[in-house]
Amino acid sequence: MKNNIGVIVRDRNFILLMIFMGIFIYFTFTTSDFFSYYNIVNLTKYGVEIGLLALAETLIIISGKGGIDLSIGSILSLSAMTIGVLSGNIGLNIWIAAIIGVGVATLAGLFNGIAVSLIRIPPLLVTLSTMYIYDSLALLISMDKYGNAMPVSNFPESYFFIGQYEILNIPIQIFIIFIPIVIILHLLLSKTIYGKHLYAIGLNDKVARFSGLPNNKVRILAYTIGGFLAGIAALTMTSRIGSARPDLGANLNLRAITIAVLGGTSITGGQGTIIGTVIAIVLITFLNNGLQLSGVNPIWQDGILGIILIASAIINFIVYRTNSSRS
Amino acid sequence: MIKIKRIIKTREFIILCTILLLTFFISLYSKSFLRLENIKNIFMQVSSVAISAIGMTFIIITGGIDVSAGSIFGLSALTMAKLATSGINPIVSLILGALVGTLLGLLNGILISKIHISPIIVTLGTMSLWRTMIFFISGGRWILGIPSEALFFGTGTIGDFPFPIFLMIIFVIFFSYFSVKRPFARYIYAYGNNPEFLRISGINTSNVLLFTYTLAGFMYAISAFIVVGRTGIVQANIGTGYELQVIAAVVLGGTSITGGKGTIIGSFLGATMIAVISNGLIMLNVPALLENLILGILILVSVIADILSNRGETK
Repeated sequence: MKNNIGVIVRDRNFILLMIFMGIFIYFTFTTSDFFSYYNIVNLTKYGVEIGLLALAETLIIISGKGGIDLSIGSILSLSAMTIGVLSGNIGLNIWIAAIIGVGVATLAGLFNGIAVSLIRIPPLLVTLSTMYIYDSLALLISMDKYGNAMPVSNFPESYFFIGQYEILNIPIQIFIIFIPIVIILHLLLSKTIYGKHLYAIGLNDKVARFSGLPNNKVRILAYTIGGFLAGIAALTMTSRIGSARPDLGANLNLRAITIAVLGGTSITGGQGTIIGTVIAIVLITFLNNGLQLSGVNPIWQDGILGIILIASAIINFIVYRTNSSRS
Repeated sequence: MIKIKRIIKTREFIILCTILLLTFFISLYSKSFLRLENIKNIFMQVSSVAISAIGMTFIIITGGIDVSAGSIFGLSALTMAKLATSGINPIVSLILGALVGTLLGLLNGILISKIHISPIIVTLGTMSLWRTMIFFISGGRWILGIPSEALFFGTGTIGDFPFPIFLMIIFVIFFSYFSVKRPFARYIYAYGNNPEFLRISGINTSNVLLFTYTLAGFMYAISAFIVVGRTGIVQANIGTGYELQVIAAVVLGGTSITGGKGTIIGSFLGATMIAVISNGLIMLNVPALLENLILGILILVSVIADILSNRGETK
């Protein structure tokens, strides 16, 4: 059983890598400026933000019991707006505002976790309601005295360091945010007791509880880390575009879940890897970039994401069936 | 069995009382809230959500979920509007629009029941895909000038009685009867409680799922015709976020997200409660953005109440 799962996960990553190589080679030959510097930079910048949300979903979905977070994009909106309002409207130091913004996101994730673990509401319902709640809060704090939601865009120059600078032509957020977070999360899941516990409660909640694992703590922490990651994504995003809007995270919820699942995270919990999700992030980012350069309308990005998601599930079904029939 | 019935009954009774209480308080502060015109408006709004909620209720009873509802809703409306404005007979356009909804529901059902992909993944995928199709076909432009015969789902009347409300009542009564009296509906509930058990009993479980998702697709299309009929236009972003409204109505109505439990009447009352709140907020001049905040808190509170009452039962 365990071997089987290992084979499938490896197979999956292998399949994803193959798809990636195919896309890469295809676009390199067919589009003249696929490797053009400007493009790579732009696409990685966006990839970092959606990638952080997909990593958050990975942890949450692994934690099992129907783990899913529909509110992840709304947490991003709320966090971004908190940073914007505190620094732009109240005049707080931008870095203190940023820390509070990430703190708010972490608390939002913690609240999801508590509602899921301690009150035992199914995650889908918790995050459906908190999606409404966080979105409304983001709108509320962005209201001016006439009752209109206003974006904030008077950030100080120093704040743009995170989202707009480059080292060796590579966006700085790759070095200071994305790579460190990926490494930390990978080690957390593969090398620590916490990681073992997370997979255990995701695979079988009851068995884990009877083995004396602190199920609730482990699960709450997964949602909290998810919130924290959404906060970091909010920080990166507001710095990159130089403004905070209450709808920044709109439509990112389902996209993040899709990318996590594409990376081999099993929706039933207990299965998934950080590496797999990272491969999926890179794959989707390059694909979108290639499409854009081939002159395909950007609206096809989501559609193709949907096709790849279902196609990979069908491939998985076929692989799994052939595997299980062999054993 | 009697116990379960009693819980369900109290659940609907609670929602009904809540609606009446809300109505009472809102009418204290707003003179025009209880005017016939306004009540008609509220139920016009309820009718489209409640009809979709019937399909969604059966899906959630089987333990599934459908986040592609808004996209199917949009694509059905767009098909109908495109055809009707390009000179095709309005009735034929409506039938083809409904067919599109039904087929997309069937496709969800096939992927879920035959290929055993989990409902959330299938509908996430189809949601993205159909949303893209909507933008692609509409080119991001609104469709105006739909002939009035194609709008009768929203504007039609039977005597003086609005057609959409009449349609909703018929559907709610029919499917309530269906879910209580027909053996096939028992399979839907049984599937939600224990799919394995149903399979062992020799029932074709994939047919149960196919029926459920296909019916839902058809219902979304009917809801879309009502909404398009009332507004007279199809916007490029039609139906975005619609699935969450429908899911919220179903959950408020007491359908358990883990499957096996729920009623059509409950979902209808859930939809009514949401419409009363959103209409009441407009009447009280409360900023519209509070509506979603209240809706979110409401879902949480109702689910927590549900959990508490169930815990009391098991003890």
